[in-house]
Parts: sequence; C-alpha cells; structure tokens
Amino acid sequence: MNALAEAFDRPSEEGSVEKGPVEIGPVKSSFLGRRRSLLWLALKTGFFTTLTLGFYRFWMKTRMRRWYWSAIRPGGSPLEYTGTPYEKLLGFLIAVVFLAFYLGLVNLVLMFASFALLQTNVLAYLLSFIGVIPFYFYARYRARRFLLARTRWRGIRFGLEPGAWSYALRAFWHSLLTLLTLGLLLPRQTFKLEKFVTDRTYFGTMQMRQNGDWRMLTPALVPFALGVIMSVMTLLVAQFDPSTSRGGRLMAPPLGPLLVFVPLSIYGLVHYRVVTRRILANHKSLGPMSLESNAQPLRVAGYVFGGGFISLAILMVPLLLISLVVGLVTAPELFIRAFGDILSPEAIATIERLADIPRGVLLVVAVVAYLSLQLIYSALHEILVSLPIRRHYMSTLSIKGLGEAHTIAQRPKDEFAEAEGFAEALDVGAAL
Amino acid sequence: MTIIRVGAKPKPFECLARFWDGKTADERIIKLTINERGPTLMLGEYGHWPLKDLRIMRDQAGAGALLLQSAEDAQMRIEIEDPQAQRILRSRCEDLGKRVPFGGLSKLLIAAVAAAASVAVMILFLVPLLADQLAKVLPPEGEKALGDHTLAQVSSMLSENDVLPLRSCQTPDGTAALEEITSRVLGEESLPYPLSVHVLDHPMVNAFALPGGHIVFFNGLLEAAETSDEVAAVFAHELGHVVARDPARIALRSAGSIGILGLLLGDFAGGTAVLWMAERLVQADYSQEAETAADIYASERLNAAKMDPAALGTFFERMLEDHGDADGLVQHFLSHPTFADRIEAAKTAPKPEGMTPALNDEAFAALKAICQVSEDEQEG
Repeated sequence: MNALAEAFDRPSEEGSVEKGPVEIGPVKSSFLGRRRSLLWLALKTGFFTTLTLGFYRFWMKTRMRRWYWSAIRPGGSPLEYTGTPYEKLLGFLIAVVFLAFYLGLVNLVLMFASFALLQTNVLAYLLSFIGVIPFYFYARYRARRFLLARTRWRGIRFGLEPGAWSYALRAFWHSLLTLLTLGLLLPRQTFKLEKFVTDRTYFGTMQMRQNGDWRMLTPALVPFALGVIMSVMTLLVAQFDPSTSRGGRLMAPPLGPLLVFVPLSIYGLVHYRVVTRRILANHKSLGPMSLESNAQPLRVAGYVFGGGFISLAILMVPLLLISLVVGLVTAPELFIRAFGDILSPEAIATIERLADIPRGVLLVVAVVAYLSLQLIYSALHEILVSLPIRRHYMSTLSIKGLGEAHTIAQRPKDEFAEAEGFAEALDVGAAL
Repeated sequence: MTIIRVGAKPKPFECLARFWDGKTADERIIKLTINERGPTLMLGEYGHWPLKDLRIMRDQAGAGALLLQSAEDAQMRIEIEDPQAQRILRSRCEDLGKRVPFGGLSKLLIAAVAAAASVAVMILFLVPLLADQLAKVLPPEGEKALGDHTLAQVSSMLSENDVLPLRSCQTPDGTAALEEITSRVLGEESLPYPLSVHVLDHPMVNAFALPGGHIVFFNGLLEAAETSDEVAAVFAHELGHVVARDPARIALRSAGSIGILGLLLGDFAGGTAVLWMAERLVQADYSQEAETAADIYASERLNAAKMDPAALGTFFERMLEDHGDADGLVQHFLSHPTFADRIEAAKTAPKPEGMTPALNDEAFAALKAICQVSEDEQEG
C-alpha cells in the first residue's frame, strides 16, 4: 500500500498535470501466485475435463492461463489473458473441419503405400511425421499470434503480424540445416526464428525488435556439445582399448565417465534453453523499453529434474497402492503363494473372495484409477515444475524505460476465428 | 428504503488503486470514492462506473489484489490491494461475480455442425470408398504384413492384464484337428498367401478374419460348439471373407478413421482410439452383401467338402436360445436384419451326398481342449 501511496503522491508533489517523460530505473518483475491456489484450480479443472471425456479441456486451458497470466507481473503490473473457452472450442471445431479430411485421407493413403511397397508401417509413420512438420510450424506461429492477441499488459494488447507460412518455411529450412550440421547451427536457427517472431510482435502500437547476432548464442551450446562429444569419445576410446574391448566388441562400458557426460548433455539442453532465452531477452527492445534478464540455468534445471523427480515420487504412493489392489484382485493365488506364510487364514479367505468381483466393475475401477493418476501427476507437475520455472523467469526480469510507457497506444483487436485450433489438434506444445 | 444509522457516520469509502485506461500503456494510481447517488464508483478524473456494472476478473492468482472491469467498458481495469476496500466492494456489488455474456452461440453451432458433417462424410463415406478401392490393389505381401501387424495388435489389446498378449493355443492333437478342418474346407481353393489359423485363449464366443489370410477363433467359440461341423461352418464363413478380401478393407478403413478419432479425442484419450481400432477388427462390421456372399461361399465350400452346410444356422440358433444376449460374432450375426433368412438359407441348403462330420469324435475333443493347459505345463 505504501508503494501505491508514494506513487500517487509523486506527481502531485511535482505539481504537474502534464506528464512528461519520467526517468525510472529498471523496474523489477514478480510472480504473485500461491502453489495451493494453482493446485486446487488444476485438480478441479482436470477433474471436470476427465468427467466430460476431454470436452472441458478448452475451459481448463483458459482458466489455467488466466491464473498464470494474472500471477505474472512484468514490471509489477499483471498480464491479463482475455481468451475465452468458447473461441477455443470454435477454433477447434474449425480445425476439425479441415483436418478430418487431411488426416483421414493422408493416413489411409500412407498406410496403404507403406504396406504395399515395404510391407511395414514404419514408412507410413515416418512420412506422416515429416509431412506434418511444416504444418506443425505453421500451427505454432498461429498459436503464438492468438496467444499474443489475447494477452494484455497495462491494459494494452500484444499482437503478431500474419506470416505463418513464411515462418513455417523458414523453420523447416533452419531445422534441416541444423540436422545436416549435426546441431552446430542450432544457435543460428534459434536466433533467426526468434528474430522473425519478435520483429513481428507488437505491444500496442509499438513494434518489438530483436537485436544482436546469432553468434552470441553459441556459448550456450557448450555444455550440451561437451557432454555429447565426451560421451562419444569415451565410447570410442573404450572401443579401441584392448583392456575394455575384445575383437572390436565393447566388453566393459566405461560407466564412470558416462555417468558424468550423459547427465551433462541432458543438463546442457536445459542450459541452452535458459541461457539463449536470457540472451535473447537482453537484446530485445520495445521502443524506449528494454528487458534485463538474469535467469539461472542451474535453478531451472533444478526445478525441471528435482521438481519432476518429486512429482514422480509422490505419484508412486497411489500407484503402488493401486498396483497392490490390482494384483490382489487379478491374481490372488500369486499373492497367497508369496505371502501365505505370514497371513492369517481369515486374510487368505478374504483375498480369495476378491476374485469374485465382476470383471466389469474392475475395468471401471482401473480406468478411474488410471485417469486419477494422470490428473494428480499433471497437477503436481504444474505446481512443482511449471510454476517455479515461470516464477524464476519473472523474479529475474527487470524492465527499463517504463517511464515512456504512455507513448504506447492501444492496437485494434485481432479477430481470430480459428484460435489455436490447429495447434491444439496437432498437439503443438503450448508454452507461454 | 430507509437506512437507520446508529453511532458515528461511517467513514466514506476511499482507497488507492492501480488504473489502466486501455488507451495507452501508462499506469496510473488513482483515488477511488463512491458517490452514493447511483451508487457509483468514481475513478477520479477517468470516469465513473455504476456499482452494479462492476465485474471481477475470474481465476485470478489472487496475491491479495482484486482486479475489476466494468460490464459496459471492456478496456479499462482497476486493481485494488486494500483488503478493507475489497471487502466493502464485494459486499456492495451484487453482480460482481456475474459472467460477461457470450455472444457467439450461433457461430459455435454452425462450426459444430460443419465439424460433425466433415467427420461423418469422412468416416462414413470417403474413407470407406477409398479403402475399398485401395484394398483391391493392395499386393498380397502388403496385405500379409498388414495382417501380421493387426494380429499382434488385436491379441495385445484384448489381453485381460494389458501386459502379455493373449495366449495362442497349441497342442499336437488340437492343432492337427484344426489343420484337418482347414484343409478339408479349403479343398482346391488357392489363396495368394498361406492361410494361418489361430486359436486365442479368450472366453468370447467369436471368430474373425484378418488381412493376409489370418483366421482367428476365440476359445469361447470352440467350447460352445457342439459338433465339429459347427466349427467348420464358422471357418468356412470366415474363409469367405478372406477370399473376398473383406478384412483388408476394414483394416484400411480403420487406418483412415483412427487419425480422425484421435483428433476428436485429443491427447486426453489417444489410447482409446487404438483400442477402438482393435474392437473394430474383431467386431468386423461387414456390409450385408459381404456377409451374404460369405454365407453363400461357405455353403458352397461345405457342400463341395461333403460337410453339413446347415451347421452355421443351427449353431447361431442354439447360441440365441442358450445365451439370449450373445456377444461377438453371434451378436453381430443377430443384429443383422436378415438373420432369420440366413439361418433359413443355411438350413434349407441342399445337403451333399455322402455327408461326413468334419472331424471324428476324438479329433473334435482334442480341438475343444486346445487351450487347456496340462498340469505339468502349469507348474512350469
């Protein structure tokens, strides 16, 4: 409250009604949202989604986004998500109209061609995968455009210029280059694509800019590259070392070094993502405003692996209980054979009676158990991984030049009938 | 309404709030007051909102702040941190939680109809049409591979513990009996691929054909059969489907439909689509013409092999009497509109001269026992 009061008093002290450019230093961002509140929302909406066989997912996604957006406060002011579940549903239906034709015919023809020519379905899966890649990039850009158009900050909408096919083409080309150079040009791909999107991003009337050069991202690749190269080297050395290899066959894989280098390469992936994001953010500008990020890759890796591990560990409790019950009911004789000595005769009789439970009942119970586990896991993942990561990104972000914000005006609404329909249908991982 | 105030006059409502006007990105701190005429929330120099128009933003992360908009103006926002001011507004604005109305219902309905129509046209018309054409030109090796693949899928999808695939039953005598039926019914018929006949350990009374010459009996059907002729008749009927390449058609159809189904269900229940595919193959929903053709084929083959063509009819008739609610193949047979005609047709088919049972009693007993696990095997 004091901060508000101070801010309220400041202009009146100066006695100026006309607001000129005010020099303000970097303003810190924050993430204000409690785990418990998110857990409850995730469980509640997830439950409705399960109950409605997935139909509620449009509402679930909207509500989760509203929550996250309102917790994320760049420069202290919250984001606002203005998308509605109805437009998401509408977008999905529009995507179904087109994709039903595409998926039906393409799958059928590919399956036929694959079995007819190669007597296997591998080709079908491969071609269907490759064929969907440009569409995937297209959908990703469209989804980003929708998301930005439905995000407001300080009352002003974001926006993204049209350009999905152009983006898809570039993304396909850069992926190919990265693949052909064994990943060496990944920083170039990351930078060029980010620049393509950022330079077409608007906050209100103000266009965003991605400055810098792709080479500034190369150091971010070092841990990953080091991990991969050292793992390969270790294996090669062991291959040609007569003490560990016989007749060209590896007898004793060098576990010690591999235990260091394989985790290093896995960490390297997180490192690359966090550090490139940080560098890219630090080279973005929005008119007079710019960002200052200090995101720490080790912290994010801690949330990804530590949080992921804890969610799985917690999940183990209900999972073990359910497995025990399923085992008891489906194969009581095994259980009795294993533990018969330590069980009382009454207990054994009870276990034997379990086998009389009708199959249909068991099936329903199993499905409910499976869906509940899925629900619990995704909620745990939300509060132990997603939330801490977003909180970390926000708490290490400052905005410079906020005093000029009054020069940025509102932009017209971007009507967008298909919403994220295609991205949703193709399951494009919707990050922030 | 008369308001009787007791004690000191309450302090007039006043609090500071963050304000965004939705015109520029400037953030202003304003002083909110309430004008009791209306009553109206006064936003300083930026206007005034009737209290009844105030709307809370839903699903906020909270953090103690209340974010408000006006039902009449979707652009402006105010955020109030002061807990006491929040309490007062919450109690005074009855419609605070009211949803902002949604206007696009007709658009949504049109899209829903279009999506349903698109899916229906694909699944019911285009995919079957194309699948039937493609099945005709699918080379035998390709059909065989497709069949091997679907057999593995079906047997693992139908397994009860979801881990191990269904057991494929084999005993020396039982398998020999099965081969005897196969070669007797098959006779001179030549197929582009070798016929392979399986018995899977499943209690359902069912038998079905898969692409590439696979014919699958569930043990439940063998146990329900009273004579070897009944097994032979069911076999001949399935052979009719194999010869007509009906299963390849069904398999290609489901390959086309499965992507659409996965699309509709989302990643929420992707596995269900696969289950559905297995189900489709087992319940093989052939057209009426295909069924009649398979019946006619069965009748001819049984005749040529000097076996009883009426056995199919008697078998289904008995299933109907015994179970009432039969499942699998029988259920499908029953649901067909011309069921009675088909039993009749099977029964009145001319009996061949010198008719003999498909198997002798000993071989039939061995066939029925094909899925029984002997004691020493169970121990191992």
